[in-house]
Amino acid sequence: MATNSSASGAGAGAGAGGVTAAAGLKTCFKTPEGRYKLQYEKTHSAAVLHYNHGGKTVSQLTIAYLKEKPAGQSSMPSTPSSSSGMRSAAARLLGSGNGNRTLSFVGGNGVNRAVSGSSRVGGGLGTSTGLGGSQAVANYDSKGTYIIFNAADTLFISDLNSQDKDPLKSIHFSNSNPLCHAFDPEAKEGHDLIVGMGSGDVYSMSLRQQLQDPGRKPVAAEHYNKGDKDGTSTGSRCTYVAWVPEREGIFVVSHSDGNLFVYDKCKDGNTECTFPAIKDPVQLMISHAKSSKSNPIARWHICQGSINAISFSPDGAYLATVGRDGYLRVFDFSKEQLIFGGKSYYGALLCCTWSPDGKYLLTGGEDDLVQVWSMDDRKIVAWGEGHNSWVSGVAFDSYWSPPNSDGTGENTVYRFGSVGQDTQLLLWDLAMDEIVVPLRHPSSGSPTFSSGSPSGHWDNACPPTGVLQPSPRMRDVPKLSPLVAHRVHVDPLSGLVFANESIITICREGLNKIWVRPGQNENNQQSDSSELVLGNAVSKDRVITSSNKAGGSSFKQPPSVLLT
Amino acid sequence: MVMGASGSKLEKALGDQFPEGERYFGLENFGNTCYCNSVLQALYFCIPFRDQLLEYYANNKTPGDAEENLLICLADLFMQVSQSKKKTGVIAPKRFVQRVKKQNELFRSYMHQDAHEFLNFLLNELVDILEKESSAEKDSPQSSSPEKVPNGPVQPLANGVRKEPPVTLVHKNFQGILTNETRCLRCETVTARDETFLDLSVDIEQNSSITSCLKNFCSTETLNAEDKFFCDKCCSLQEAQKRMKIKKAPHILVIHLKRFKYIEQLGRYKKLSYRVVFPMELKLSTSDDVDTEYSLFAVVVHVGSGPNHGHYVSLVKSHNHWLFFDDENVEMVEESTLQTFFGSSHEYSGNTDHGYILFYEGLGGKS
Repeated sequence: MATNSSASGAGAGAGAGGVTAAAGLKTCFKTPEGRYKLQYEKTHSAAVLHYNHGGKTVSQLTIAYLKEKPAGQSSMPSTPSSSSGMRSAAARLLGSGNGNRTLSFVGGNGVNRAVSGSSRVGGGLGTSTGLGGSQAVANYDSKGTYIIFNAADTLFISDLNSQDKDPLKSIHFSNSNPLCHAFDPEAKEGHDLIVGMGSGDVYSMSLRQQLQDPGRKPVAAEHYNKGDKDGTSTGSRCTYVAWVPEREGIFVVSHSDGNLFVYDKCKDGNTECTFPAIKDPVQLMISHAKSSKSNPIARWHICQGSINAISFSPDGAYLATVGRDGYLRVFDFSKEQLIFGGKSYYGALLCCTWSPDGKYLLTGGEDDLVQVWSMDDRKIVAWGEGHNSWVSGVAFDSYWSPPNSDGTGENTVYRFGSVGQDTQLLLWDLAMDEIVVPLRHPSSGSPTFSSGSPSGHWDNACPPTGVLQPSPRMRDVPKLSPLVAHRVHVDPLSGLVFANESIITICREGLNKIWVRPGQNENNQQSDSSELVLGNAVSKDRVITSSNKAGGSSFKQPPSVLLT
Repeated sequence: MVMGASGSKLEKALGDQFPEGERYFGLENFGNTCYCNSVLQALYFCIPFRDQLLEYYANNKTPGDAEENLLICLADLFMQVSQSKKKTGVIAPKRFVQRVKKQNELFRSYMHQDAHEFLNFLLNELVDILEKESSAEKDSPQSSSPEKVPNGPVQPLANGVRKEPPVTLVHKNFQGILTNETRCLRCETVTARDETFLDLSVDIEQNSSITSCLKNFCSTETLNAEDKFFCDKCCSLQEAQKRMKIKKAPHILVIHLKRFKYIEQLGRYKKLSYRVVFPMELKLSTSDDVDTEYSLFAVVVHVGSGPNHGHYVSLVKSHNHWLFFDDENVEMVEESTLQTFFGSSHEYSGNTDHGYILFYEGLGGKS
């Protein structure tokens, strides 16, 4: 992967620049630490989207770090036998059919891409590879970084480090649209990729096997349908899937009917399994499968209306959910207990994520705010104001370290990003010592009167043991302002991922943009960060002084406090 | 027959969940009267307004000779629907539409009309009729003050310029108060003027939210250059900062998205198909730091690519179900269907169905 930055660049950058310039979008944005540049764009060709099984889909993004294949291990994952018939013997042939690796000539993950041109259409799941045992196919045995995204009835896989705009692989689903997906980089064996469908069904599969297969259907996939044999329930589309960290093979799937199912990939997918009826849709209800062979192994009914997103704390101990009812809920996953929760300012919450140390949570939603929650205090600690529409994605930058860190470590500064339907990417710095007290009073931004008392009541605004806290009042929550706000896409955004060398943004229509970090690019100027901030003040990107500078005065004042 | 089929289909879809006492009726179109039908459905499912109008109707049984007016026509139509034996069906709002056309020549033609203009006309017309009636009552010696409403502290409007007008059922439901604040940049004097409103017309931006549109509506603008402010204290034109604050939030918040914009270069109006997302819940924060919480219950949708043609439909929430009203047709839809009426991120896209007027009802509880 070290080869990519030099090989990359110019060509792809220029091409992409040409495309986006037409839309009035810039191909770089500045931050105190330097300039992020658009390196690649990745998308699907609209022509491959033949089918859409009802309803418009929103593209989601998953990053997959595929490890080097352990020597001597067959590509065929040793999953338990299944009667589903989804798995084919042909897949087994593939693993041994790999030729020698040839030198990479396109950069990227160093895989041989001599894919046969005669990829066939049709054939049942997994059967299309049978004939091609001797074909020269890419082996994908080495490690690599891939991005996985969905659009209409197809799941796409692209090589993060290649300059190809088109995906390496498209996987068509014949019955329903893939809506969400997750990859388990720590999977020791078997399947590492799960895909949630519009029908409520779930597939698990091996990413490497999909890459190795030239066909257009999922290969050797396990199918899970949570026991409803009629399969026609419209209210139960999958909204999010996640592997449970530190729990090999366990994954959870959230649905639009407020249910969350826990699965074990080591058990059969298609088992008869019924859970008791939900009497009160507002109440939390956790039920376990009666039989130890059943899959799913448990159902959590969490809330009325859709669960929109879920996220596990890095150690797998806690599960956060956000939903249509506007609440964040944090559960102790193994104890199956609600720890705490709280409501948005108004409207549904749409996304959530944990800080790398598990101390903070971010949520974003239909109130255009990014909420910061403290796990220690079990309450909201700040609201980020800066989006002009719904916040659809939030993520901490686990690769970032404060530029002027003096090493005392007394004040942890977190960097996080958010994307919204306003087509903007916002970057934020969170310095916790400033969050303890309100950074400013909302009314101080007023051009005229100041009203309101110092919000000394902030500290006791939280109920001591309140499990689900109501919406706080606007003036009671400290506000954060973004470091950078940059319009990155033409279409509303749906997600972002921080990778080692880049930030990846994706829009609802399935265009991915890879923004390479400062210093990752040879023509990136290395300059003092403070100078850069000053130099930027006139640029169109709104660069706001970093929040870890002393005092609240550097914060951008909101245009108004009347309605936010 | 077709209409009957659609009605029974709705009954079937709702099954035993069909709300007790509720009626879902389509409205016949008399040649481009969809602007009227879509607004009528939204108003009918504005429950406090409907209840108060029906109550008014019950208490003011017209003694035959009374003059027919728009208020009576509307109340009569609401009565017809609510008292219908059948749960679903189609009603021809003939008398009401005739009255509208008689009253206002604007709506007389068969041309495409603006639903917001119609709503505005209708509400103001109702206010006029109700105010006339109540002042007539006042003039007659035996009657004491008309209905005095426990409408919270009715504060005298600033500057004492205006007298408290009689409070009608339209005011009770839809009226809010804005404060227009101007601060002279020379002497720092703040001039505040209160204005009442029945709806808020907001400018829209591409890929924004209603929250953001309302924020812009209330944001500070600087009056300078050609547009200076005459400061009474300085006795001259001065640069000033102006902003709108919501002083009193209405019970029913009606937000009109300004999708029809006059483009000077073209010399005509153009429809903005911008994607403007609107949440199911909203809060308005008034100048006294009180949040009023709202829940969306109706959306009037403009269908079409231009301002001079097209169609209006409405989506209405009733007893936790969303219903889609397209003239005589009524069907049940999922809440998620509303997302298809946000607008589009691209100017030329196939989607031409865009949310145009949003109706939010206050939840009463202050958070």
